[in-house]
Amino acid sequence: MNREIYAYKCKRCGTLHYPFRMVCKECKQNDFFEFDTVPLPKSGTLLTYTRVYNLPAQYEVATLGLGIVELENGMRMLGQLDIEDPKIGMPVRGEVEVVRQETYDDFYGMVFRGA
Amino acid sequence: MRDVYVAGIGITTFTRLEFALSEIAAYASMMALKDAGVSEVDQVYVANMGGARLNHQTALASAVVDTLSLTPAGAASIENGPASGAAAIKAGFQAVASGMDDVVLVVGVERMREVNGLEATDFVATLTHPIAEYIYGVTLPAHAAMFTRLYMERYGVTERHLAMVGVKNQNAALNNVWAHLQQEITLEGILDSPEAMTNNPYVAEPLRFFDACPVSDGGAAIILVSKEKAEELGRPLIRISGVGQATDTHAVHERVEPTDLLAVRKAAKDAFEMAGLTPEDVDVAELHDAFTILEIAESEEVGFFPRGEGHLALERGETALGGKIPINVGGGLKGRGHPVGATGVAQAWEIVTQLRGDGGKRQVEGAKVGFTCNFGGFGNNVVCLTFVRED
Repeated sequence: MNREIYAYKCKRCGTLHYPFRMVCKECKQNDFFEFDTVPLPKSGTLLTYTRVYNLPAQYEVATLGLGIVELENGMRMLGQLDIEDPKIGMPVRGEVEVVRQETYDDFYGMVFRGA
Repeated sequence: MRDVYVAGIGITTFTRLEFALSEIAAYASMMALKDAGVSEVDQVYVANMGGARLNHQTALASAVVDTLSLTPAGAASIENGPASGAAAIKAGFQAVASGMDDVVLVVGVERMREVNGLEATDFVATLTHPIAEYIYGVTLPAHAAMFTRLYMERYGVTERHLAMVGVKNQNAALNNVWAHLQQEITLEGILDSPEAMTNNPYVAEPLRFFDACPVSDGGAAIILVSKEKAEELGRPLIRISGVGQATDTHAVHERVEPTDLLAVRKAAKDAFEMAGLTPEDVDVAELHDAFTILEIAESEEVGFFPRGEGHLALERGETALGGKIPINVGGGLKGRGHPVGATGVAQAWEIVTQLRGDGGKRQVEGAKVGFTCNFGGFGNNVVCLTFVRED
């Protein structure tokens, strides 16, 4: 199944936002819900990254890779990294997968791998 | 606007405390009330981030005001993440400056060690963006680590610089009996020796254990008064001369320049402008070193050093006691500890201690002007204050 994460495009000025916000950060003119949804690109370059060793209680893994990715349209997003040896500036590609599991809920987010 | 003075200060030991949240707040408050010599107040502001979540206590200000038998004074809790403390000071400042109140008690408190470390980390992580950050397992150490990686790449900051901040601040805490960490550390032990990786493992690469502040319980309080009341009480005249607060994007990735801390820059600029001061006028500063990198970055953003040169000033010893601008001489968050709601008030407590000349072994000689930076979120809500000794 091809899942997407959506950016929010202002219907008045076209500015893209991620995550969702109620008022456009550029034109600040919106009435309620004046945004179109547009899928975020999945390819980009790694802007910065870390590997975390002390995770919140719900995680049953020893470590977790996290990074901020500059997507090919210039937007940025944070995601999990499934990359052995990350480097700033490396090309990456994301897929929408389960990033957090709680008792009755699965949360989906972007997981990036080397491209 | 009326002038606002700090007439009294109080603090508890920052450590693991086996008292109710409201009792920790009340203990610090009683010290501040006694220090100021007042027994009645017009208003109480209680700064706290996690009472509802960690301690099963809501409406904390109502509990604190009654524990102190200060009823029927006005009371309100202020939750503003890790910047709750200084946000409460700002509210108290406004209350006195406006003429509505003459005596205001501001107390910050947190009891985080009631839960285990994993839950405490998760609790602080709930301040991140719920959809774009929190669900990925992002923690505050993770944000600080990604920020550090960029800072290293751009400005040449190394793990050694970070460790130097840690050693400076944790060892400074040895001169502060109220501080959480009372253990001397060395660069040898946490960085250079063969055991360093065991002593000081990574928590979020490139940040290690000794780059992060401890999880602490504790409270700190100050009494804010009008000039008339301050002169009547006869305590050293220390005026809050500048207040600045600014915000930034909730999700860190939305910042145009990811190494900029624009809210720190603006809050500091506004505080200095209001006070008619410049960063060069500051004798002693408290910066929000929840992670060692933040002391370096904030020292640049508030204007003490040019961009990208904070770590060079650190190397030259300019931020140590006896240096050009001593930073966190009482241990900072790193050494004193970081009960999140209390921290902003504890910073003010340290600065007032310094301006009164009561710093003992950590006293900055002749300190007349002090500065605090209380950093909330990952830099998305920041309050800066300036303090001036007048008499």
